[in-house]
Amino acid sequence: MSDHKERLEQSLSALMDGEATEMETHRLLKAVAEDPKLRDRWKRYHMASATIKGDPVATSVDYSVAISAAIDQEPAHRSGGLAVFAGSAGRFAIAASVALVAVFGVQQLNTPSSNGLINGGNGMSEFASAQAPAENTGPAIQFPSGFQPVINARTVSAGGNNKSSQRTIPVLEVQQVPQQQVKAQYSEAELRAYLNNIMTKHSNHAALNSNQGMLPFARLSEIGGKSAGEALSDKE
Amino acid sequence: MVVSITVDKTLRATFNVLKQAALVAAVLLHGSLFAEPMESAQDLMERMAKASRELNYTGVFTYEHRGNLASAKLIHEVRDGKTYERLLHMDGMQRDVVNRSDNLDCLRTGDMLLRGHAYKINDENYSRLQDFYEFHIKGDGRIANRHVSMVHVLPKDKYRYGYVLAIDKQSGLMLQSVLMSHAGKPLERFQFVDISIGGALSEMDSQMQGSEIDHIDQADCLQLNRKMLSSQSMWQLNWLPPGFVLASYQSPDANGQESMMFTDGLAVFSVFIDSVKGEALPSVDAKLGATVAVLTKADINGHQYAICVVGEIPRGTANQVASAIGISP
Repeated sequence: MSDHKERLEQSLSALMDGEATEMETHRLLKAVAEDPKLRDRWKRYHMASATIKGDPVATSVDYSVAISAAIDQEPAHRSGGLAVFAGSAGRFAIAASVALVAVFGVQQLNTPSSNGLINGGNGMSEFASAQAPAENTGPAIQFPSGFQPVINARTVSAGGNNKSSQRTIPVLEVQQVPQQQVKAQYSEAELRAYLNNIMTKHSNHAALNSNQGMLPFARLSEIGGKSAGEALSDKE
Repeated sequence: MVVSITVDKTLRATFNVLKQAALVAAVLLHGSLFAEPMESAQDLMERMAKASRELNYTGVFTYEHRGNLASAKLIHEVRDGKTYERLLHMDGMQRDVVNRSDNLDCLRTGDMLLRGHAYKINDENYSRLQDFYEFHIKGDGRIANRHVSMVHVLPKDKYRYGYVLAIDKQSGLMLQSVLMSHAGKPLERFQFVDISIGGALSEMDSQMQGSEIDHIDQADCLQLNRKMLSSQSMWQLNWLPPGFVLASYQSPDANGQESMMFTDGLAVFSVFIDSVKGEALPSVDAKLGATVAVLTKADINGHQYAICVVGEIPRGTANQVASAIGISP
């Protein structure tokens, strides 16, 4: 048993050095799928080599589980002869190992970790697809500018759907809410103007008291004008 | 190299000697390069705080959040003990140019904290940046075609966010600042795409002449024997996130709005209290980029006040601050 393990570890080292045979790679992939310890070892090897190369290193996200699940869902490759099967399985194994390596190479920044930042730097593709932070579920692309108010739990039960004490409501929907909120004495435009005004003053503050000099003023680039959200709701 | 194959032996020998010399030179050079990162992250932060005020520079930077991008041009010049700054938004709707001037020697709370000075909260307690953040130099990079040191700034608690900063090796200017959520996601990013540092800025003179310059109020300037600012407000915060100190206070204006601003040296939040608009505003949480605004209402002796906490801080912190605002006894 331990002999088997030792051999696997040797195969793993060989794979890391790009010297594993097709057979070894195949055996290794199978073993990695079943043995979390071996998977951890593989991960450590990759992190070590990434560190040496100066690549970004992430520690806590394990894509391999998701990948092996995805692989499990793939339809099995069928073929007639055993030889053909071995050949295609070999190719598949190599492809899978490449995928795994690629994923290890790519992961950065978006990894939730106890430490917070993993790697900032330049791999910022995150922004383009930025998921909303947990507390803000408003759509990102549809409402590119302006504040996105979250109305506190005063929604009246007219429509049903009042499941939580706090709901995120994108800018557009706020206009529809007042019909139900009899007590509302404000208009959304007023609220927006107020928030924008406060935001401007805050940026002035921030520009004097943070390390960023005038940079905080750039945050204002999107307020004060007609936002896309407003333009849209005007048409309705 | 290719040529050397065809030339005679003596030339090749000379070439080899040259190669060795180059190798030695490279090793020596490398040695001196290694000496540079000995600067601690703390020193780097202090240098950054000074550089952004004391140097002449002009550049274009981008501001990015959740897939949105804006760009602005920044000019910063020091002349006769004063700083002159000009900010021009480069895209979107036409906006006012910000021109402002400040006394170079006017240091505010944020400057002080960033420069590593302990800030006296009261007789027993000091607020220091390094008590609330960890600083790690994470190697080198290149931003706006300049060599930078990457610095990761990790918060030690959940009340503030972290940063990834890129600091110009030569000048100490901050060329990139990324605000990072606790989950390690970027919330917003400032980054210079082009910058020229040092020298006289003739462009600045011509552009700023004739334009109205906003002279910054010097009321918040701190002396080196700094003392905690105290507000004359009837309001008080019964809880502050640790490390944050009052940096400025504005007494009620014509519209009945007063404000306080707090900083820990990196993060900033403001508290606005409105005595007039209280009835007309709902209680909302709003978010713009990395900035949250928590608007709540307080009923004091039958009068409705609107209280708004705004800042680049986690929503939880903003909520906690908002609920801790009360009347001084």
